[in-house]
Amino acid sequence: MLLANHPLPGKTIPGDTASRLSIRAAEDTARFSLRIDPAAVQAAGTAFGTPLPTRIGGMTATGGRSALQLGPDEWMLTAPVAESDGIADAFAALQEPHSLVDVGHREVGILVEGEAAALALRSAIAFDVEAMAVGSGCRTLFDKAQIVLVREDENRFRIVVWRSFADHVWGLLQAVSREIALGI
Amino acid sequence: MSNFRIAGKGRVNRSRQVRFTFDGVDYTGYEGDTLASALLANGVHLVGRSFKYHRPRGILSAGSEEPNALVGTDRGNGRFEPNTRATVLEVFEGLKTESQNRWPSLTRDIGAVNDALYMLFSAGFYYKTFMWPKSFWDKVYEPVIRNAAGLGKAPTAPDPDVYASRFAHCDVLVVGGGAAGLAAALEAGRSGASVILCDEQSEIGGSLLSEPAAEINGQLAWDWLEDANAALAGMPNVTVLPRTTAIGYYHQNFIGLCQRLTDHLRIVPEGAPRERMWKVRAKQVVLAQGAIEKPLVFAGNDRPGVMLAGAARTYLNRYGVKVGNRVVVVTSHDSAWHAAFDLAKAGVEVAAIVDVRGTVPTQLAAAADALRIRTLIGWTVTGTRGRLRVSSVRVNPVGAGGKVGSAETIACDALLMSGGWTPSIHLFSHTQGSLTWNEDGQMFLPGRGKEDCCLAGAGKGRFGLKAAFEDGAAAGAAAAADAGFGVEPPAYHVEGELSFTGVTGRELPTDRDLGHAKAFVDFQNDVMAKDIRLAVREGFKSIEHIKRYTTTGMATDQGKTSNINGLAVASDALKRPIPAVGLTTFRPPYTPTSFGTFAGYNKGALFEVTRKTPIDGWAEENGAVFEPVSLWRRARYFPQGGEDMHAAVARECKAVRSSLGIFDASTLGKIEIVGPDAAEFMNRMYTNAWTKLAPGRCRYGLLLGEDGFIRDDGVIGRLAHDRFHVTTTTGGAARVLNMMEDYLQTEWPDLKVWLTSTTEQWSVIALNGPNARKLIEPFVEGIDLSDGAFPHMAMATGKICGVPTRLFRVSFTGELGFEINVPARYGRAVWEKLFEAGQRFGITPYGTETMHVLRAEKGYIIVGQDTDGTLTPDDAGLSWAIGKTKPDFVGKRSLSRPDMLAADRKQLVGLLTADPKTVLEEGAQIVLDPNQPVPMEMVGHVTSSYWSAELGRSIALAAIQGGRSLQGRTVHVPMPDKVHSATITGMVFVDPENTRLSA
Repeated sequence: MLLANHPLPGKTIPGDTASRLSIRAAEDTARFSLRIDPAAVQAAGTAFGTPLPTRIGGMTATGGRSALQLGPDEWMLTAPVAESDGIADAFAALQEPHSLVDVGHREVGILVEGEAAALALRSAIAFDVEAMAVGSGCRTLFDKAQIVLVREDENRFRIVVWRSFADHVWGLLQAVSREIALGI
Repeated sequence: MSNFRIAGKGRVNRSRQVRFTFDGVDYTGYEGDTLASALLANGVHLVGRSFKYHRPRGILSAGSEEPNALVGTDRGNGRFEPNTRATVLEVFEGLKTESQNRWPSLTRDIGAVNDALYMLFSAGFYYKTFMWPKSFWDKVYEPVIRNAAGLGKAPTAPDPDVYASRFAHCDVLVVGGGAAGLAAALEAGRSGASVILCDEQSEIGGSLLSEPAAEINGQLAWDWLEDANAALAGMPNVTVLPRTTAIGYYHQNFIGLCQRLTDHLRIVPEGAPRERMWKVRAKQVVLAQGAIEKPLVFAGNDRPGVMLAGAARTYLNRYGVKVGNRVVVVTSHDSAWHAAFDLAKAGVEVAAIVDVRGTVPTQLAAAADALRIRTLIGWTVTGTRGRLRVSSVRVNPVGAGGKVGSAETIACDALLMSGGWTPSIHLFSHTQGSLTWNEDGQMFLPGRGKEDCCLAGAGKGRFGLKAAFEDGAAAGAAAAADAGFGVEPPAYHVEGELSFTGVTGRELPTDRDLGHAKAFVDFQNDVMAKDIRLAVREGFKSIEHIKRYTTTGMATDQGKTSNINGLAVASDALKRPIPAVGLTTFRPPYTPTSFGTFAGYNKGALFEVTRKTPIDGWAEENGAVFEPVSLWRRARYFPQGGEDMHAAVARECKAVRSSLGIFDASTLGKIEIVGPDAAEFMNRMYTNAWTKLAPGRCRYGLLLGEDGFIRDDGVIGRLAHDRFHVTTTTGGAARVLNMMEDYLQTEWPDLKVWLTSTTEQWSVIALNGPNARKLIEPFVEGIDLSDGAFPHMAMATGKICGVPTRLFRVSFTGELGFEINVPARYGRAVWEKLFEAGQRFGITPYGTETMHVLRAEKGYIIVGQDTDGTLTPDDAGLSWAIGKTKPDFVGKRSLSRPDMLAADRKQLVGLLTADPKTVLEEGAQIVLDPNQPVPMEMVGHVTSSYWSAELGRSIALAAIQGGRSLQGRTVHVPMPDKVHSATITGMVFVDPENTRLSA
């Protein structure tokens, strides 16, 4: 296999000495955009091997696979890279009309972790990040870039952003982490 | 150097001296000083020259309302800022400041001649003096006036500082950290609500900082303040932001706060932001912005040393600075008496208190007597003297019926004035909340609001500390309750209240000619009372017109100290009550705010998103010259060995036509259209017929708007009966997806089809040239590339270099071409592998400029360059792309409108210049007869024009009225050098038989 090329300039922003904030590029994952009539969500969950959430913003996860509902008929499915072909095959056999599109290379993940994680995100996200429920996600804007934001834990967020916008998001996070490290 | 600091007074840190300069002179102040307090402590009142008349000006106020004391500050390395208010600028070690609007020096200023010529600069002088001759407008008047008038000088170097921004959500936002704001924040904080308290000053406390003698609930004010600050700091639900100005109040309780982070620091940490814009969404807002003291309007009221009485009190009590050694107070309001008392108690000689009212509260008169201060009740001030600092004041008694008696002159080095207080309703005004006129207090008060906000304290006319505390506490509790948190506001007990009665009026009575009195209303814009009267005499009736004609209230201070005085004068001149004259509208920002704060992080590399393809790094390493295409940056050409663009493009074109070129086409928009109704959806969106397109085949697709004009195009491949791979133009990708979603969701929700953007899923490598197949054949698995099995406009999935690919046989050059889609992360590696293997064919990377030439040689259009939103498919020669038997598609109906079928519509054609070496200008107009009189009839314009290395001559495309029927006709193209002639031809210049496509 050829060498994969990632867009992010460095791989981590170490943050300050008190480790209130650390930012790093996430590991690659398999990623699909699934569009299907919500009435067929059960069949889709069976194909995916993990039941799909039925509330917008909701997430489910089992055995390394996770599903995030982004819209009335839209889910983002993620899984370990090696499972990509298997997922495509499983959905190919699904009888219900749907669209499964591989977007594994379209986006990159950025993990923002630490006590100051929400504070860092507040620099560029307009909605109330602090009030976001753990285990939920949404599509939103980070400065001028469209992202999907997932709150994986109280102090861990994942940004999923289109490749060519990743530099911009990363550069902004670098600026923000500087002011947080300085305590300003 | 004189020392005006009083021992034992004030809050500045006497153990920390701070050295700074003003106009090159070294001064010393203390930590906690503003530039104004530090200069006053050194006996400096003269700090600048005025806007229009270059009159010497001093320090009027002690807060952000300051109209006069504007200075330039230099923080080094290009950090120059004009018009900084000395009254809010905190001094720090090494601060450099300078006065403005003077030359050669502050004390000897040539521009002061304007003051003697003041009759020329009356109201509306812009409109009167400079009407003619017209030729003088931009050559003489504009530059001369810009030079003579104006405030400060703009910095010339780029701002080296960085700026930050932050969103915040809270239950209660309290604006203003004085008595009312503190009480509100304490109650809201105790309730458990999330609270943000902001105040523009360096210290929280507002007027409490100037009231050390007051007692609150048995504690001295500053002890109470310390406890209150500690209580707030102990509440994790409360954020306190000093040095933070609420600059604007927008819809749905969205408030902008500008926080000054590092300007006051002697050593700024590397990379620390200078200012931060907070964008706060609050459930409830409490506005506790206090009140601003009004000057009195009398001749010579702008002389250095004349200042607001409340400001003098603040300089004394907060900064420990006396503003003079012999002071006179002139007032129409009780509060100024307290300034006189405090100064007298501090050992300053108070020569007189002049009160224009006929009677004053007896306890004030008694207190003045006890301090042996002379009081002149029912007197007026009619003038001041002193060149660069007030030296005396002229006072006169006012008899029954308003008759002004004979004058007496009192020597003084400071004159303190008070015309009462104006509630600061600016932010409330931003919300479009209504204002009501309060006749008793002679002030506008907040009326009905449009947002979830309330006002408290002096900001809504509730003067005095007890009123402010209790009003603030009630407002804080109510706001918290509205946000879902309950709390009972306490009562406050206050000793040592100031007295707050007074009257407001127009100019003070005088025995002199009002028409010559230099009695200033707006200090910053140099507007005098007589200017407003002149405007009224000249027919201006609305305050909005008077404002613009006289410029009163139009300076950077937005008339904080002048609006009500201006209104009172206008009201008197118009003989109409103040509410009938009206108030001008306040606009954000509340105080001047740096551009940097608005820009936030978006400067330098973060100014705008720069999208780069996975192959961009290779292009950069190989010397590409880039150009922006929408948000993308794309390689334009790859110069070698000092080539210019012309030479590089000629070489790249030649390489493609003769052997092999490689091009990064990753920016092409890509949309995956999937579902059982995919073909039906395609039929409805695009002009072409899709039903019969077999999987594994491609078709050129043309997209129109509802109006029938070309919007976008691209090659579309059918992957399966229910799956299409659509490509769009680079710039059109987002627009096309939005348009498709719009139709799908609003017009055809019944269709079972879904759209997914895959632009960035795929890296796209375009290989063009007769050797393209030979290069990729060894690397491709699972696809038979022979011309029979994989002809022009075929597509297939397989592998290349071991990674999955969607391989298209398409051409935008007229040569044998392939577009290799690989998952984005592998784009660069595949590119490098092919580039290495292509060396035996002399593989040549080419950029967008070469791509443009190659496609123009073949007559392939670029949407947005050759089309301009007014071309139909037929105009562009693309009628063949319309599925004639389809029942409908977007734009179909518009195509049959009569004017869309007219014979003289502009049509795309080719142009060959008579002189083959002439490359026409793109956008140049075209005429049929160059000898017509001007204006000539223009029949079209050049849309694309290039040098064709292949043909050894220039080529062009043009949109010309009825162009296709004018083949062979000579047209003329006027250009700056001369009029060029050209012949109309077909659009295909190279290989019209398309033999190369199937090489």
